[in-house]
Amino acid sequence: MPKKSLPRSFFNGKFTKKITDNKSMFTLLATSMLSLGLTACLPNEKQDAKVVINKNPYPSTYQALPAQSILLTNATILTGTGERLNDADILLVNGKVMQVGKDLLAGKAKVIDMTGKWITPGIIDVHSHLGVYPNPQVESHSDGNEMTSPNTSEVWAEHSVWPQDPAFEAARAGGVTTLQILPGSANLFGGRGVTLRNVPSVTMQGMKFAEAPYGLKMACGENPKRVYGSRKVLPSTRMGNVAGYRSAWLAATEYQRAWDKYDSDYSAGKNPKAPKRDLELDTLMGVLDGEILIHNHCYKAEEMAVMIDLGNEFNYHSGTFHHAIEAYKIADLLAANGNCAAMWPDWWGFKMEAFDMVEENVAIVDAVKNSCAVVHSDSSTTIQRLNQEAAKVMYRANEHGFALKEEDAIKWITANAAKSLGIDDEVGSLVVGKKADVVVWSTNPFSVYAQAEQVFIDGAKVYDRFDDKYQAKSDFLLGQTLDSYVDSDASKAANKASTEPVNSSVNNSVNKPASKPVTKPVTK
Amino acid sequence: MKNIQLITSLRYVLFGALALTTSAVQAEKIAITNATVYTVAEQGVLLQATVVIEGGKITAVYSKDDVPDSLNADTIIDAKGRILTPGFIATKNLLGLVEVGAVSATRDGSDKKADLTFDASLAFNPKSSLIPYARKGGITSNLVMPHGGEKVFTGQSFVVNLSGEFDSVIVSQNAVIVSLGSTRKGSRAVKLQTLSNELEDAQKSLAKAEKAKAKKKKSQGKDKEEKEAKTPSRAEQVMYALLSGEKPLLAYADRATDILALLKIKQKYNLDLILVGASDAVLVSEEIAKAKVTVMMSAIDNLPTSFDSLHTSLANVAILSKAGVTVIITNSGESHNINQLRFDAGVAIANGLAETTALAAITANVADSFNLNSGRIVVGKNADLVLWSSDPFEISTKVDAMWINGNAMSLTSRQDALRQRYTADTNMPRAYTK
Repeated sequence: MPKKSLPRSFFNGKFTKKITDNKSMFTLLATSMLSLGLTACLPNEKQDAKVVINKNPYPSTYQALPAQSILLTNATILTGTGERLNDADILLVNGKVMQVGKDLLAGKAKVIDMTGKWITPGIIDVHSHLGVYPNPQVESHSDGNEMTSPNTSEVWAEHSVWPQDPAFEAARAGGVTTLQILPGSANLFGGRGVTLRNVPSVTMQGMKFAEAPYGLKMACGENPKRVYGSRKVLPSTRMGNVAGYRSAWLAATEYQRAWDKYDSDYSAGKNPKAPKRDLELDTLMGVLDGEILIHNHCYKAEEMAVMIDLGNEFNYHSGTFHHAIEAYKIADLLAANGNCAAMWPDWWGFKMEAFDMVEENVAIVDAVKNSCAVVHSDSSTTIQRLNQEAAKVMYRANEHGFALKEEDAIKWITANAAKSLGIDDEVGSLVVGKKADVVVWSTNPFSVYAQAEQVFIDGAKVYDRFDDKYQAKSDFLLGQTLDSYVDSDASKAANKASTEPVNSSVNNSVNKPASKPVTKPVTK
Repeated sequence: MKNIQLITSLRYVLFGALALTTSAVQAEKIAITNATVYTVAEQGVLLQATVVIEGGKITAVYSKDDVPDSLNADTIIDAKGRILTPGFIATKNLLGLVEVGAVSATRDGSDKKADLTFDASLAFNPKSSLIPYARKGGITSNLVMPHGGEKVFTGQSFVVNLSGEFDSVIVSQNAVIVSLGSTRKGSRAVKLQTLSNELEDAQKSLAKAEKAKAKKKKSQGKDKEEKEAKTPSRAEQVMYALLSGEKPLLAYADRATDILALLKIKQKYNLDLILVGASDAVLVSEEIAKAKVTVMMSAIDNLPTSFDSLHTSLANVAILSKAGVTVIITNSGESHNINQLRFDAGVAIANGLAETTALAAITANVADSFNLNSGRIVVGKNADLVLWSSDPFEISTKVDAMWINGNAMSLTSRQDALRQRYTADTNMPRAYTK
């Protein structure tokens, strides 16, 4: 299935190139024209089979977990659309949000009283390396940065994802339902990112968000020039960075033109030779075609401004700026060009390009009309508390003249994040018809004491803080805390089952919980 | 108000060097009245209490009914019921030893040549831009733990206050740092052996030296050469300080086997041991409690980052505390965001730690471990105090006022100057907004 094209309507009207084509549409067109007799073409030319690029060779096999219809009642609901509903209900049916409002009728749905609780959309992290830089942080698992060339657009982060990374479980316990896994920032073009549903799965495909477009990781600034400059390879300077991007986009433009010509010639009944496939250029062409979204590691104001112009030069949208420490300096420009800025609330100082942090960065970006301010983690630790990350911005900004409320701040980690990933039609807000990704919080999620108590993805419960049955555990951590001593009951069972091999019998019998269930949360 | 803030921030940040002239300012007598005082001492929480500070020290703590009619203070601050706590004490970071992480010229926390005599306090920069920002988190003093060298003994820690003055270093070379546990090259066993052997050698040479001393007393120091040969080296002096318990041993270790090995070493040499990191400490919590060893750990590092850390959890601080272990909550990151310490403590509370224990874990427990005259609101302690707008652990709360050694501190930082510049209403380039 071809990727849904970019929701370009969101990005602003500066961008005039209308994207309606994709290669498979040409195939259909060609077939129908052939059947009509192809009046415009050479009459006797026999056409070879059309060469079509398979844009989805590793398709999603995600299936929602078993779910029943439920009605969550009497909660404080932040919808993600800027609205707050007090003492309200939400009805989840067939994996979708069916209704949000007061005193809803349950029908056949199971009613769960959520008095005192807060409900938000599932949290979305636009910048994560879970699975590609997993825990334990051993060299064998360090799969996030293909640091062998400044342009590795041909690599796809999904091919590095280790689904058993225990951090997926930890993030789920923090309410994260969707996350984009990106390659690292060593290269000018780091490769494709993939958006995942945060469900336990043995395969990456089992987590893949089917409707989400791919992302392309680009990187500005210090990292690429440091990595390659030290090898005496371009880039060793920021101007080298930009030269590297431009050369790549020039090549991609040629490549796109070659494929367009092939498609139109074929459609015209000719028998053209297909251009030679190039994995690197496939990805860049996907960007030019509007099918792949740019996710650009770019801290500094002047560099973001150059990246915006670069996009205009080559006729693609410059997408989302990640780690945009200095976004507050160009908030107007970002909004005018339709860029999202994904930011930390307060990380700073680890590099020169992270020196000009202000705690109100997100709020300043958000204050501009048509802006898209996102709070991201880039961390397996803070991904577990994106609610608190957003809270820090809200409260610090309110100390300095802003008047932000919970219903505003929640957008930074839900609706705006969905917009950045091109999945805002599907998730990010509690709107009728959207996927029922829901978090139930113990209290106001912007409190340090808030805990995600229940997490739903597509209406199915994937986490429950008080029910071990809904607390998944990765293969890696399974069996790490078992007792070595066989207790007396187990010994008896082992003796009884004399026909069974002793080992397996003992293993089966020792099913009592580990002596110190330390990974279980202690409730206050 | 905004103008005042700007002026203050300029004075403290852009022209910070001028503050040198203010370092000798004699603190006035201040009374903070009507406060909810978290003493972190026997008195517990006092409502509507009054704290008097003078000469840089806490000179009186009055509960509601004991407040005298006249306080005789230069300044009286009505806390209006707000919470007053001891200033928080951060630990395990490079504050003042790094300005920009990736700019190596601004890093003074490690050196290949560093050994157990490494004294990074000589490199401490009280004018670092990290310090005013750290104060926003209610942090008034800090245990700096340099990374030091590549040996088992990496160097020594030191303690600073966050006044930003040139006399910030409270105590240097106050504890010896060793790094144990998993290693990319070689075996962890060698590290434990090195620690053990060096302690044994030091103990022997100390015994020898004492014997010689006694002998010398008898013979009235006939042999000059022998006398000189017995002068302990700098490294030996540090080892002797460890053996006498004069200096604590800060030992990085995560796996339970390393922790148990350290407990044995502690017992054998009667060391003042403090465990650092201690990801898997929950597996041996009873042993740690029995040995009365304090644990310095993060409250939010809950992932199995290595095979030494398979039992991490957000509940670990609470679990250890319930087992009777004294815990110090350390900063989770490095140095630039140590102001978040209070949120980490809040997460520990949300995961089962008692609020009073969480507060002690970032105040009194640190002071006790390193013999600091702070961390509690008690008469005679340094007047390092923080007045909070509300619950100190909550994200919505901010520091309303702070005193270090009785001096009221600025709560603005370079970040405020940047925000004001870029939110100011101006038609001119923003470089003119200062």
